[in-house]
Amino acid sequence: MNRIETDVIIIGGGATGAGTARDLSMRGVRCVLIEKNDIASGTTGRNHGLLHSGARYAVKDHESAHECMRENKTLRKIAWHCIEDTGGLFVTLPEDDPGYHRLLLEGCRYAGIPAKEISIRKALQLEPNLNPGILSAMTVPDGTIDPFRLTASNMLDAKERGAIILTHTRVSAILKEGSKVSGVSCITKNGDAIEVMAPVIINAAGVWGQEVCAMAEIKLPMFPSKGSMLIIDYRINGVVVNRCRPPADGDIIVPGDTVSLIGTTSKEIPYDKIDDYTIDDDEIDILLSDGEKLIPNVKNTRALRAYCGVRPLVAVSGEAEGRNISRGIVLIDHKNRDGLDGFITISGGKLMTYRLMAEKTADLACKKLGVKKKCKTHKVPLPGSESRFSSGRTVKRFSGIPDSVVGSTFYRHGQRLRNIMTGEKKNYRLICECEMVTEGEIEYAIKKLDVKDLVDLRRRTRIGMGPCQGELCAYRGAGLFHEYGAATPEGSVELLHDFLEERWKGIRPVLWGDGLRESEFTYWIYQGLFGLSHVNNKKKKKG
Amino acid sequence: MIKLENISFDHCIKCTVCTIYCPVAQATHLFPGPKQSGPDAERLRIKNPELVDASLKYCTNCKRCEIACPSDVKIAEIIQNAKWKYVKVHWFRPRDFFMSRTDLVGGLATIFSGLTNFIINLKVMKVLMHLFLNIPYSRKFPAYQRGTFTGLYKKKFMQSQKVYEKRAVFYHGCFVNYNNHSLGEDLIKVMNALGYGVDLVDEKCCGVPLIANGYIEKAKKNAQYNIDSLGKTGDAVIVSTSSSCSFALMHEYPSFLELDNSSYIDRLDYITKFIYDEFTAGNIPQMKAVGIRAAYHSPCHLERMGGVIYTLGVLKMVPGLDLVVLNSECCGIAGTYGFKKENYEISQGVGQNLFRLIEKAEPEFVVTDCETCTMQIEMNTKYKVLHPVTLIAMALEEKNKGKK
Amino acid sequence: MIYDCVIIGGGLAGLTCGIRCAEEGLRTVVISGGMNSLHFSSGSIDLAGFTENGSVVKKPFEHIKNNAAKKKDHPYTKVGIPAIRKSLDYFKEKVSDEGITLNHNSDFNHFHVTAIGAVKPTYLSQESVFSSRGKDIIKSGAKIAILNFKGFRDYYPEQTAANLKEHPLFKNSELMLGDISLPYYLHTEKNLHEFRSTDIARIFETERYLPRIADEIKRAAGDADAVSLPAFIGINNYREIRGKLEAMTGKFIYEIPTLPPSILGLRIDHAVKNSFFKHGGEYIAGKKIESSVIKKGIVESIITGSRGTSSEIKAKYYVLASGSFFSGGLQSGVSSISEPVFDLKVKGDSKRSKWYSWNFFDKKSHPFLSYGVETDSSFNPSTQDGKTVKNLFCAGSVLAGYNPVKEGCGGGVAISTGYKCAERIIREIKK
Repeated sequence: MNRIETDVIIIGGGATGAGTARDLSMRGVRCVLIEKNDIASGTTGRNHGLLHSGARYAVKDHESAHECMRENKTLRKIAWHCIEDTGGLFVTLPEDDPGYHRLLLEGCRYAGIPAKEISIRKALQLEPNLNPGILSAMTVPDGTIDPFRLTASNMLDAKERGAIILTHTRVSAILKEGSKVSGVSCITKNGDAIEVMAPVIINAAGVWGQEVCAMAEIKLPMFPSKGSMLIIDYRINGVVVNRCRPPADGDIIVPGDTVSLIGTTSKEIPYDKIDDYTIDDDEIDILLSDGEKLIPNVKNTRALRAYCGVRPLVAVSGEAEGRNISRGIVLIDHKNRDGLDGFITISGGKLMTYRLMAEKTADLACKKLGVKKKCKTHKVPLPGSESRFSSGRTVKRFSGIPDSVVGSTFYRHGQRLRNIMTGEKKNYRLICECEMVTEGEIEYAIKKLDVKDLVDLRRRTRIGMGPCQGELCAYRGAGLFHEYGAATPEGSVELLHDFLEERWKGIRPVLWGDGLRESEFTYWIYQGLFGLSHVNNKKKKKG
Repeated sequence: MIKLENISFDHCIKCTVCTIYCPVAQATHLFPGPKQSGPDAERLRIKNPELVDASLKYCTNCKRCEIACPSDVKIAEIIQNAKWKYVKVHWFRPRDFFMSRTDLVGGLATIFSGLTNFIINLKVMKVLMHLFLNIPYSRKFPAYQRGTFTGLYKKKFMQSQKVYEKRAVFYHGCFVNYNNHSLGEDLIKVMNALGYGVDLVDEKCCGVPLIANGYIEKAKKNAQYNIDSLGKTGDAVIVSTSSSCSFALMHEYPSFLELDNSSYIDRLDYITKFIYDEFTAGNIPQMKAVGIRAAYHSPCHLERMGGVIYTLGVLKMVPGLDLVVLNSECCGIAGTYGFKKENYEISQGVGQNLFRLIEKAEPEFVVTDCETCTMQIEMNTKYKVLHPVTLIAMALEEKNKGKK
Repeated sequence: MIYDCVIIGGGLAGLTCGIRCAEEGLRTVVISGGMNSLHFSSGSIDLAGFTENGSVVKKPFEHIKNNAAKKKDHPYTKVGIPAIRKSLDYFKEKVSDEGITLNHNSDFNHFHVTAIGAVKPTYLSQESVFSSRGKDIIKSGAKIAILNFKGFRDYYPEQTAANLKEHPLFKNSELMLGDISLPYYLHTEKNLHEFRSTDIARIFETERYLPRIADEIKRAAGDADAVSLPAFIGINNYREIRGKLEAMTGKFIYEIPTLPPSILGLRIDHAVKNSFFKHGGEYIAGKKIESSVIKKGIVESIITGSRGTSSEIKAKYYVLASGSFFSGGLQSGVSSISEPVFDLKVKGDSKRSKWYSWNFFDKKSHPFLSYGVETDSSFNPSTQDGKTVKNLFCAGSVLAGYNPVKEGCGGGVAISTGYKCAERIIREIKK
């Protein structure tokens, strides 16, 4: 059995977990991050990627609003390559209460959010695809943030500073010595057992934190609330469009990278359903019909996929809907709550405040370890955001390579572009043609970013996230997995199979129109032309 | 963010069929093909207008990708749009300016046609153009004729056309007007034989070269002028002998330039479609056997319009014509494209397949509908190229001339 | 325009129908709305590959016969065994005239190897995929070199080899891997990495490169008796190129279909199109049908065109061979399935959640793949009010009642139904 000695164990590889790993590593604290799946595979990667200005909370939750605005400014500095400054709009539709507009403006002023009322003509200039029938509009400093790249950058920085990252590794037991934790035992994807020993364990498992606590014989009931979202084939809007009314279903459209996302529905679910990502047809219908009210073009556009995330809110009794709970940060020192020393749970909050959550958590862990160093994560930029320079200038440096290819790589990896676009010509060949992912980027991800399968690869590079959902690139990606030594040839075919199944989960709920045509085509290729399940069936029989 | 109108790229299934049929991607690897330049990159351009690839300029707008596309994506249109929509900087390019103003240049050139033809084919001039205007040295130029076709019409035909009851408006286009009067004369002969009197109206260049060179506003102005002019022609039929002009008048005006051409669209036909309809309705003039072996080349834009079957239908009814239908290949000239130094080699490369097919068919003449295809084929093969209308005119018996 | 027969759809079904009609001297036009799905096919004609529970069919005709009683609505049942046989013979003869030989293993299915090393049953294949010589070579346990062009992004031979060696058919064979590279001067402009199969096929079609390629094959394959290449040894004159390469290398050459564009499929496409033209068929490319006029159970005309310019096309008989969802023969909305040209009655659930299976590679495949137009036993469809349309026939994957991928019968159904419709039309017109 493998045994690792360290200072802090972080369970959960979401933004908070990765952020905590980075924070601790920057203070010179050794840590091991253990994630049962892939980084950002849980709630972190399952939201609409809004860089909140805080305006969405300005009326009901001033503290969150204020936090958001502060972190918004910080993230723009330290993680500019994960962020796009799109700006945001709040628009009032004819059926909405016109009074909310005032209320929101006041709330924003109170929280220090620079909201500004603008004319409808101006709003339509800013976002020409907007419903021209709106009654009022205001601008807020919303933006977009890519949760996958944000988490990956945090992880990369932590690794470069000495942290150990174990993805696809599941904690099976929490080890205790008396009233103190001493470590965890865990199992890797291949079934190997590892024991990690440390005096401090941070439970950053989000909604799965209830299970982690249960392993430490602690009861921490979670309040799982499911939010579903719809991805549209391309950017139907350039500015974040919010509906000016109290938060409700289908009230926001976010332009995220090459696509737009319509969010969100909210639904209370029982805890045993948190891993069931089924989306009902009526949720899709709500998102489509409400999305169309904000941007009429929604109805003419291909829905790429639907997905959902489960909000990690610690249960507060008497609340009917997840959305009405404060998303405040919950940091629990279980020594005080349950008498278990060295065990910390961080939960609640949101993607926007991940850094702040990590800072608070690391502060507590350091206190326990007697480390005096202060947090620097709000000052030191993440890998990729080291120094700021414009995409235009970067793109021009690579003459002979299409601007769209260089530009897309730069958009995804910021200054780490120089680790990708180097040397051999093969690094520039396109593997994913929809999202312009090159072989160089895939090699970089496989070798540097802890990628274990094609689904992980997608989170790092956007391979298979475009309109074709992996129809051509999945096969190429699988082939490269073998070429770069990350899988056996048979194994790479299995990865291909699993990847297509994973894509299918999101396509399934929106299977009509061009999406259905695309799926038929993909099925022809992989089942008809390649006979993929004929290979796998045989394997299963043997196994 | 820009207002999204042309969103056909959303239908792209990424089947890559368009890249197989792209003649430019076959001839040069500098062009990544219509899929990548069109629907793939369009999503990125919407995200960030800076991400415009320089390789877009290699697209000849032949529209073969659109014919191949099983998803009805207006690929070539997306690429044309992208070329100009996202590139904001416009500096004055003398070559493109003059090349796209076919009517201005043509008008001037025809005044001193002899001199013009002499000068532009002078070696010195060719070297100078090669060096200063980036016009390839080896490119042959179309000869300009003395005077314009409109002038000729007024002098020679206007009077005689009055006897016909049925009226047809002839949109002659720049090529007939400045370079090839005899095609116009043939058209009048054929229309008369079918019982139509031919009128001309005020017209400007259809705008195809303007669009190709990025002068979209000027193209819109011309288009509006033509729409106004053609719209005022009552219920007369309108015909054109140029497949590219027809394509612009029918398709590019409403879809690319976003102008309303409903005032004439139901009355306008490319000439062979018109003749075909007349022939099949029983209005067939007396024709004598021409006794010619000809190879037919289908121009890209006519294919896009779905007009090739009409040309073939008409040609099949010409007695004594031994017709070899060549496999559909792009000739490579693509309007003004092949007249530019940076494109010359690609243009020639694209055409190689076609030239080989022609040589192999060993015809007496080549027949094609398009004026720039004609120039390209005449420059690269030893054959003379005829327009289908000319061929029909050749077949017409003299006595038909007076039919009313 | 008045035709004897207008065929909507330029795929395998439409063109087979078109060749037969044109050959009989009928004035025939094929209207195609873009390129057909042969461009993404294996280029082999599947007749009946798999049974209901997914096991491999050995004798396809026997399988079809045994299934006929159970599957009354299956297109094969409506065509009947004798006509299926006749249609396949006819098809073979026509493509053979265009330089493509299709082989079959008497009444048995044979196998073709896919890119990921699966072994799939099929009925008719090109010589580079199935021939008696190839069969002997595999049987004898010869050494097979699985080669690729170095850097070609659409094929990974290691996967082929790894899965193939598990297969009983290849238990005696020794498999080896190798890379061949192209002459350096082809690399200069753009790197090979962005080449698609068609680009490489054109290199093979260039006579002067062949000796160099043959040398490379010999070098990479060593003492192997047979060589497998991703399919790109030429599109138009492949038989000649393959012959030359075999002579130069002294090795048997096998082809494996790659990611689209599939050269093996392209060859069939070019062959059927050429045959159609040769028989005097007319062809309108890249045109969608906007609408149609049906009166009293008779199609009077169809309207083609896009934006403002449209033309009416009339015919005595119409064939709908417009394909499935991919080709636009069928359309799906948020909760509806329809046939867009004539608004015919279609089979298909109105509830979206019934269209698909939970897993992408579900054993039951997906219900939407067997949706389509419902027809009577002579392939006449009916309109929404239940009225049969007498001068309209349906062929190919627009038809309901079969799942081409799951049953492995797409090519066979396309050819046999296309042929059957042609026979019907010819009979009616000659009456």
